[in-house]
Amino acid sequence: MRIPFESAAVGTDTPWQQLPELMLPAYGQTWAMVGIVMALVISLGGLMGIALYNTDRQGLFPRARLHAVLSWIANMGRSLPFLVLMAAIIPFTKWVTGTTIGIAAAAVPMTIAGIPFFARLVQNALNDLPRHNLAVGLVTGGSAAQIIGTTQIREALPALASAITLNTISMIEYSAIAGTIGAGGIGYLAVTYGYQRFDMNVMLATIVVLILTVQIVQFLGDRIARALARP
Amino acid sequence: MIEIKDLHKHYDTAQGRIEVLKGIDLSVPEGSITAVVGPSGAGKSTLSHCISLLEKPSSGQILVDGKDLGALSGRALRAERRAIGTIFQNSALLSRLSVAENVALPLRNLGVVHHEMQQRVAQLLDRVGLLEKANAYPGQLSGGQRQRVGIARALALRPRLLLSDEATSGLDPESTHQVLGLLDSLRSDLGLSIILITHEMDVVRHVADEVAQLAGGRIAEHGALHELVASPGSATGEKLLPLRAEDLPAGFDYAVTVAYRKDRVDPGWISRLGIEHGIAVALLGGAVEAHHEGTLGRVRLGVRGTSPQDLVRLLDGWGLHADPGSLARNNRELVEANA
Repeated sequence: MRIPFESAAVGTDTPWQQLPELMLPAYGQTWAMVGIVMALVISLGGLMGIALYNTDRQGLFPRARLHAVLSWIANMGRSLPFLVLMAAIIPFTKWVTGTTIGIAAAAVPMTIAGIPFFARLVQNALNDLPRHNLAVGLVTGGSAAQIIGTTQIREALPALASAITLNTISMIEYSAIAGTIGAGGIGYLAVTYGYQRFDMNVMLATIVVLILTVQIVQFLGDRIARALARP
Repeated sequence: MIEIKDLHKHYDTAQGRIEVLKGIDLSVPEGSITAVVGPSGAGKSTLSHCISLLEKPSSGQILVDGKDLGALSGRALRAERRAIGTIFQNSALLSRLSVAENVALPLRNLGVVHHEMQQRVAQLLDRVGLLEKANAYPGQLSGGQRQRVGIARALALRPRLLLSDEATSGLDPESTHQVLGLLDSLRSDLGLSIILITHEMDVVRHVADEVAQLAGGRIAEHGALHELVASPGSATGEKLLPLRAEDLPAGFDYAVTVAYRKDRVDPGWISRLGIEHGIAVALLGGAVEAHHEGTLGRVRLGVRGTSPQDLVRLLDGWGLHADPGSLARNNRELVEANA
């Protein structure tokens, strides 16, 4: 590939040949971050979503007050823009991870932002199930765990797959924002090279990689959701 | 034997207490179908939820073989729940489970071992005639087939009572017929007690042995179906077998509703009125329905040439019931009185 003379001379743009060397580890870091965060978000946010649904009126154990508290927490977690949340909880992040920069430090605000988001997605997925599912679970002698497992989670799997896809894409976006606090990953690359050093090549490559990544994640998510659906 | 004794259910709301069931007494013998009918708001679905043990009665008992299931909760309730099988409106199958898995659900919830479960599921699907659909998903079945799977699921734990909560509403006539045929055969083959909660009088007329009319949270009328239909003054009887009769034509003195069961009636009774007794008769309307206990009929007549009292006495001697309350009213008044 031909390198434009001007940019090579100014020295701001990373040569195209060197991009893979720069971007591959960063891409790996992005996925490591998103992977860790999604594992926490799916388990904790999933639990919160199930609790939100089942403490509501049509749920397995309706508790109006507990539901209101959970709902309030979920709304609170979702009301701050990610950048603000990230900055606001730095003391907490430091207490948990011992540092305020790097992958571990970014994972904390990403998880905290992701949990209420996923909880609401799970709640919505469960709300879309037929109302009679609970009655079916009860009259067939199901325990609470069996009812939640079979008549709720299993029945909602296609919608949950879509929720995970949506959440993963959000987390990829958050990981890029987390780049501003030195989280690593391609967001960090875009900020340090693209934004601070006006490195157009890195900026363009980052954009292309992010677009392709999101397209692929969405495509796979749709495929999985479709495979889980029944006639 | 299933007995419901003095069942009350109320809900406390911000606006105060709402009493939905105000003392329901109902017993369903083995091998019989009792239909619970009534307008919407009468308490049918609350009663259904109490019987299927989805809601706890405020007071009163639900006795299955002498054991009060209404008072149970938690683990004890889960264990005893198997005595009552419930069939829901729209079958309520789980969409991501195959037909066989849906039927196996109660067995799996109770931890029945795998090969026993498979055997029982095959047996149940065979019973409802859907063995070849075992691996299909509910979305691939017709409404009637889905409801038969729902019945198989309700039977999985060998219940003593089968509760059908509007199980045929929304089904086409052919599917309704299949489902009712199945309930009918289950009643006789397995000696099940069946409670049919429904608003469809056609359904009731086809399969029920007894009918309980629910109104305002109480049982307004309860009796054997053929007796209700054969009582010309019964409002439930009129709903079960409506006459759609014409008004009394000029030249006749009064109209009367006569009800009968075929096994005790001479079919030629209308002509006998004229030939043997010189009474002029106009046939204003009639309905005759085959029932598994015999043919039921209700006829509305215009009459001239005899007094109402003499006519009632005469018909009574032939095993026909004329309703004195229906005398000298035109059809519109009769319908209004029954509504």
